Amino acid sequence: MQTTLQALKNQFTVQWEKQQRADLHQVGLPREQTLAALTWLKEHTPFVQLTHMSVVDWIEEDQFQITYLLMNPRSYDLLMVCTRIARSGATMESVHKLWPQAVTYEQEMNEMFGVEFPGSPRQGESFILEGWEDIPPMRRDFDTVQFVLDHIPDRPGRLSINTREFIGRKVGEKRLLHD
Amino acid sequence: MSNKPDLLHGVPEIPAGSVPHANGCDQSCFLGERPDPLSYKEAIQTVKNWFRANSLWVIAYGTGCGSIELRPLGTARFDMERFGIAMRPTPRQSNVLIISGYLSIKSLKRVIRVYEQMPSPKWVVGLGSCTINGGMYWDSYATMKVLDLYLPVDVYIAGCMPRPEALIGGFKELMRMIKNGETKGYIDYIERLDWYRENQKQIIKDWDLPDYSW
Ligand code: SF4
Repeated sequence: MQTTLQALKNQFTVQWEKQQRADLHQVGLPREQTLAALTWLKEHTPFVQLTHMSVVDWIEEDQFQITYLLMNPRSYDLLMVCTRIARSGATMESVHKLWPQAVTYEQEMNEMFGVEFPGSPRQGESFILEGWEDIPPMRRDFDTVQFVLDHIPDRPGRLSINTREFIGRKVGEKRLLHD
Repeated sequence: MSNKPDLLHGVPEIPAGSVPHANGCDQSCFLGERPDPLSYKEAIQTVKNWFRANSLWVIAYGTGCGSIELRPLGTARFDMERFGIAMRPTPRQSNVLIISGYLSIKSLKRVIRVYEQMPSPKWVVGLGSCTINGGMYWDSYATMKVLDLYLPVDVYIAGCMPRPEALIGGFKELMRMIKNGETKGYIDYIERLDWYRENQKQIIKDWDLPDYSW
């Protein structure tokens, strides 16, 4: 792990670095170096397997973070490569040529966050949602509750109970719940 | 509605005068009087309902967390076969559809097809609070919240999630209703098909189902 990290730092601009667990390191890379770094990692280091890909919506900074989780299948060490892209008109290079399974992740990220991966197969095809007309539902500016109230009929008379108060009353304020 | 499907053959009308053997020779000859056609019809209906209530065949389909509870129900510990309840692989062989928890809008489309392909008489059981009022998924953009807007539900079983005992309780209630001839959901579905369709189309945005899935 340390050898790979050092070599990565020598070749690319590692913007930040964090150790989450003994077997899990995170690195942040600039967007334009990410594809090159991933290719290099796959070809020249033991981190050959793409285990997961995801998006984080940093709406306050008007950015999406794309995360690639790579694994070393011999030692089970994990390396998380993160990169930030602009939130409006979000596009990212596809990695499906490196790892064919990325097609499915990219299709899902396209549907749920609206991030485009030009050149990736099945972009824009429906993956989980069918007939979705609103903005992608996992974006943080999508108001789920308002959507539900507007679109999905409800049964009147539904009660909401504040669990903390209710159980607190039941158990006589024995402070069983954490604050 | 003009193209309303005739699915009511599950409850046949026996025309008066066509009582079997009314003028032939059967035991009624020896009784000396013809049976009252109405009571005859009722008797047949009662027998039929008794058979139906004791052979509930459930389509093997599960959504949501509640379908987990169908496994212990079907296997050794709770053994639903002692009530004549069995799992069937296809809609053509089943007469009970269990919606076992939250139902995503995408699944609703499939469920409508399955329900319409089942032969009448057929019954729908809503399992868990998600089918009743959305349960803890009430604010999900992907699930429906009130099942009886889209399918005619005969029995709801409350709980999150209901235990197999509750399911058995629900089935016993369904059996009682069938024996008493109280279940008219499948007739209601045909009679008010337009209303159900309107509700279904309201949340299924890319509607591409046929007029009726025979
Ligand atoms: S009622 Fe509860 S157990 Fe059943 S599907 Fe909903 S959340 Fe899951």
